[in-house]
Amino acid sequence: MKASNEPALGFLLPSVVFVFVFSLYPIIESFRLSFYRMILTLPWLGERFVAWENYADLMTDPVALKSLTTSVIFVAITTPVEVILGTAVALVLNESFRGRGWLRAIVLVPWAVPTVVSSQMWRFIFNDRYGLFNFLLFGDAVHRYWAPLAEPGLALMSIMVADVWKTSSFAALIVLAGLQGIPKELYEAASIDGAGAWQKFRHITLPLLKPALFLALLFRTIDALKVFDLVFVMTQGGPADTTNVLQFYGYKKSFAEGMIGYGSTIAVAVFLVSLLLSIVYIRLLGTRLLGKEGGA
Amino acid sequence: MNTIFVLFFVFFIAPMADAQTQLRFVTWKSEADAVWKQIVGEFEASHSGVEIVREVGPHSSTEFHDLVTQKLRNRDPQMDVFFMDVVWPAEFAAAGWALPLDDFFSAERQKEFLRAPIEADSYHGRIYGVPVFVDAGMLYFRKDLLEKYHLAPPRAWPDLVRQAKLIQTRERDPYLTGYSAQFKQYEGLICNMMEFILSNGATLWDEPALRGTLHLAAAKEAVRFVRDQIVGAISHRGVLAYQEPESLAMFTQGKAVFHRNWPYAWEIANDPARSKVAGKVGIVPLPAFSGHQSAATLGGWQLGISRFSRNTRLAWQFVDFMTSSETQKRIALYTGRAPARKALHRDPDILKKNPQFRSQYETFLRAAPRPVTPVYQPLSNIMQRYFSSAIAIPDSDIDQLAQSASRDMDRVLDLLRARGGP
Repeated sequence: MKASNEPALGFLLPSVVFVFVFSLYPIIESFRLSFYRMILTLPWLGERFVAWENYADLMTDPVALKSLTTSVIFVAITTPVEVILGTAVALVLNESFRGRGWLRAIVLVPWAVPTVVSSQMWRFIFNDRYGLFNFLLFGDAVHRYWAPLAEPGLALMSIMVADVWKTSSFAALIVLAGLQGIPKELYEAASIDGAGAWQKFRHITLPLLKPALFLALLFRTIDALKVFDLVFVMTQGGPADTTNVLQFYGYKKSFAEGMIGYGSTIAVAVFLVSLLLSIVYIRLLGTRLLGKEGGA
Repeated sequence: MNTIFVLFFVFFIAPMADAQTQLRFVTWKSEADAVWKQIVGEFEASHSGVEIVREVGPHSSTEFHDLVTQKLRNRDPQMDVFFMDVVWPAEFAAAGWALPLDDFFSAERQKEFLRAPIEADSYHGRIYGVPVFVDAGMLYFRKDLLEKYHLAPPRAWPDLVRQAKLIQTRERDPYLTGYSAQFKQYEGLICNMMEFILSNGATLWDEPALRGTLHLAAAKEAVRFVRDQIVGAISHRGVLAYQEPESLAMFTQGKAVFHRNWPYAWEIANDPARSKVAGKVGIVPLPAFSGHQSAATLGGWQLGISRFSRNTRLAWQFVDFMTSSETQKRIALYTGRAPARKALHRDPDILKKNPQFRSQYETFLRAAPRPVTPVYQPLSNIMQRYFSSAIAIPDSDIDQLAQSASRDMDRVLDLLRARGGP
């Protein structure tokens, strides 16, 4: 038994090293730095250990708290919308019809386009003078054109639209995989029992799809909490700081202002919030869900 | 056997031949990229065996800063020469990123340049950059429209608002904006707001005393004016998302009466191929509030050398070439950028091509630099947040926002009190 394990360890080693170097080490290093005060542009202040001071600052930093709220709103709205839209798309793609292969490929295009490129595209779409958004809404009545990226009340929503467009297909992909795992026999049996399309969806598809939906929700939540590129390209946090999500604020602190310690503290906060949300999800949905399935 | 030889050549011999002579130059995307490329090409032609690798970064100063500082923070030897915005040298010097250039760039030679950018390039008595061109905020206006309604270019901000309103009403063009400028939340917002604040006798902060001053009445009054009279009245709300290119496009499309920009816009606004208002453009110093002087934010770009460059001598030769009288003259002639060398402001060829430089020289001499400090970036982010919140929200509580911005700036400035040394 033991002897047969040894080659396996050898095979595992590269990925273990990879995970350690590129995932674990940066996380540990961020934790370490978050206990220091270190400002790159003021090297004479040195690298001073300040224990929990950065965390205390973070708790009382109104900009950080507002950024956290912005991030939470972003997650709370985009994630469910993406999973619902993704499910709808997946249901369509799961049917067999002519051109399904093509459609599946097309649906994935938004996900495949680099976010920086699609963000730039959405910036053009939302332009207040030549944007497609305004043209579709108002046609030639240019005096009625809106400037979504300039309005404190609309900018975050515009970014959410861009995010939903881009990542719904990712949710669709996961849900589609879940759909394909549902045995056909169940539907056939339901048909014989006289169940309609809605009843089949309600009592077969949805319950069996729960693990996939949960997975899509979890992935999207963690990802949405880390949203950065959309904000960087489309608004740079403005107007009136309304799109300054926590991750972007941390980036500004670390990379523009050189406040390495405080920036790391924000990164750790983002990490802890996603960890917390993941645990809540797994507790609320995961075990109950798995337990139910196991019992059934 | 042959394969091994080829591989050996590809991996060892060929890179060695390259490595001796490559110099990496980090620059930004320019409207006149071909001109810059050609100038760099000439340096290569006159220095056989030298290859200049141009790495082109984003147009926005804020984003370009992030790119350059990332390389410096990583001590990247793959960057020898880089552009610096006029507010960066103090930060780069304090962090130990920019090479002091005193050995190459003597005090004697510094005198050939305008004083303001040289001061911006100096930190604790040493020099860290060589100015390539200078910028100062200017007011562009539609000469034809002002003449049509018998108006003289405005000297006071309220006059500008009045004229814009008059022209907007009479022209009956819902698309026509009164004042097109840069009000997006980014560095350009500081430049624009500073011109309003300084021309009302206030300041961004008190550098010698290390104290925030945005909560003082005159500063708040200027901000309130922008919110109520400019953004809320004569400009489209879209300006709140504009950087230089978008605001200039609005003007060159004939859809703005007044436009605030740097000198480079003159060349583009008067080029019939790129502008619908070519030949109908006037340029004057920005207006002021009554009883105060007009203020123009000093902008402009310098070349710096990275402390992590492995070829500083060649890097200096390149910087020297890029800032020479001949090169600056070409930059002035073909990109419309105002030379940083004093003598070129009297050059007949340049004045023939850019007659506006003659009247602008005074503005360049008086242009107000943003205060020189190594903590400029944190201060800038606080101010960007404040200005954007104050002007983008129609009923913003300016008193309260200004108070907290000032307090936050005090906290950042306090970091400098504990200074041990440069």
